[in-house]
Amino acid sequence: MTISAFVSDRLGRILLQAILTVASMGFLLATGTQAGVVGILMLVWLLVILCVQSMDYLKAHGRLEELETIMERLDRKYLFLECVPAPRTAYERSLLELLRRAGKSMIETVSDAQAAQREYRDYVESWVHEIKTPITAAGLICRSAEPRLRQKLSQELAHIEAHVERALFYARAESPEKDFIVRQSSLSDIAATAISRHRTLLIQSGVRVETKNLEHTVYTDNKWAVFILGQLLQNAARYRGREPLVTLSARQLGKQVQLQVQDNGMGIPAHELPRIFDRGFTGSNGRSRGGSTGMGLYLCRLLANCLEINLQITSEEGKETTVILTFPARED
Amino acid sequence: MQQVMIIEDDPAIREELKLLLKNEGYRPLPVEDFTDIAGQAAQWGPDLILLDIGLPGRDGFSLCAGLRRSVSVPIIFVTSRDSSLDEIQALSLGGDDYITKPYNVPVLLARIKAALRRNGNSSEAEVLETRGLRLHLTRGMVSAGTKSVLLTRNELQILACLMGRPGDIVPRAELMETLWDNQIYIDDNTLSVNMTRLRGKLEELGLPDLIKTRRGMGYQL
Repeated sequence: MTISAFVSDRLGRILLQAILTVASMGFLLATGTQAGVVGILMLVWLLVILCVQSMDYLKAHGRLEELETIMERLDRKYLFLECVPAPRTAYERSLLELLRRAGKSMIETVSDAQAAQREYRDYVESWVHEIKTPITAAGLICRSAEPRLRQKLSQELAHIEAHVERALFYARAESPEKDFIVRQSSLSDIAATAISRHRTLLIQSGVRVETKNLEHTVYTDNKWAVFILGQLLQNAARYRGREPLVTLSARQLGKQVQLQVQDNGMGIPAHELPRIFDRGFTGSNGRSRGGSTGMGLYLCRLLANCLEINLQITSEEGKETTVILTFPARED
Repeated sequence: MQQVMIIEDDPAIREELKLLLKNEGYRPLPVEDFTDIAGQAAQWGPDLILLDIGLPGRDGFSLCAGLRRSVSVPIIFVTSRDSSLDEIQALSLGGDDYITKPYNVPVLLARIKAALRRNGNSSEAEVLETRGLRLHLTRGMVSAGTKSVLLTRNELQILACLMGRPGDIVPRAELMETLWDNQIYIDDNTLSVNMTRLRGKLEELGLPDLIKTRRGMGYQL
């Protein structure tokens, strides 16, 4: 609180006091008090006013400083009212009480919204599990169709599955009680599962896959890791170039393991690289081809952060894209 | 004939699994009444159980624990619940394997085979025999009459896939998918090359035109 703000708050009072002082001095002079005595009286009176106002200012200023320090030190600002020292005046007490009521109502609103969100998320998750039953049945039924029809249908089913999977992981990643379990996992198993899951898309897009030195142990949730890798493989198939090739290779980096997924596809323009992890960002490649959701890499980043996997993408437009996943070291 | 008990509440999947397993040479035992599953299992004496987690009335986890008290055969969870937590719970309750829906069929069949083999009561032949051709899976060798030749890993997988479905037209994409499931990531050209080599080897055995090409459709044994 600055002095000018304090003064402007009390401008009326200060003016009134000044007017009253001048008036009473005039009265004293008119009734025959000596000018010297009036002068001394006036000086003393002004000093008293100044002292009182300064003390008020210092008190208010100190109190505000104290409260501001408390607020600044708080990690969660909304806990402020719980940490405020006991009110000093009745006025302050009433104000704090009002604030408390406002805060309480805010908390109720927030927790209602959270509950609604949780219910919705639970519904999405159970819906995803429900929808997998008919997808499975359709997959089994389509086996008895004639080969060409079967191929087309299985391609469409793979699309549906990929979308459903993204919805599930979105619901999971946003949930505060994230249900991943970090375990010792084999990187080659993770890669094999991810490749196998997207083999229909990769084969039909004519993408060649090469794997090198994947015999490493990583500490991660393999379901989540398979999903992340799956998104990268789908991107490699979607944004492929001529004679598409995806290479998966790994290396030990101190205690960490680095997995590199490299493709020779259309690449990403340099000015779009900083935004590729943004939610809903589709980029010029996605827009020109259509059907891009802008969710894949956003989810990859979201899940990778949960698993403490570092995700880096470099690219040269028209030539290649390289994604490097650095798995965290084991916590001893 | 090995018996596979199917505990699955979705009628469409149950029906298709029944057909699939029948075609693969198993005797399917689909459960229609979900009140006393453990009793039915003890009565039927299956060689393997496929168990869905989301069943009417009770969940597959508690059912698995109940089944474990009466039978000791492999139990494979087949479920749409796919978090790591579900998987750990399933395996710690006595499940032998855990497959998530929607599964790819060759993987499901391979897991069933593997579980039966681990359990030691597998009658699965290490030798496939079709059209006068004998394929020794473990030795990577194919023979006809008195002559035999060695096969590479790719050729072995291709031939095994074709011999598993004699008379059927197997599309190229499906052959490739089978190989990919075995972590052999071949492309279209490599498949052609392998196919040519495989035909050459079959010719050495005196069976030159055993594998027929059906243009635009696939291969047929």
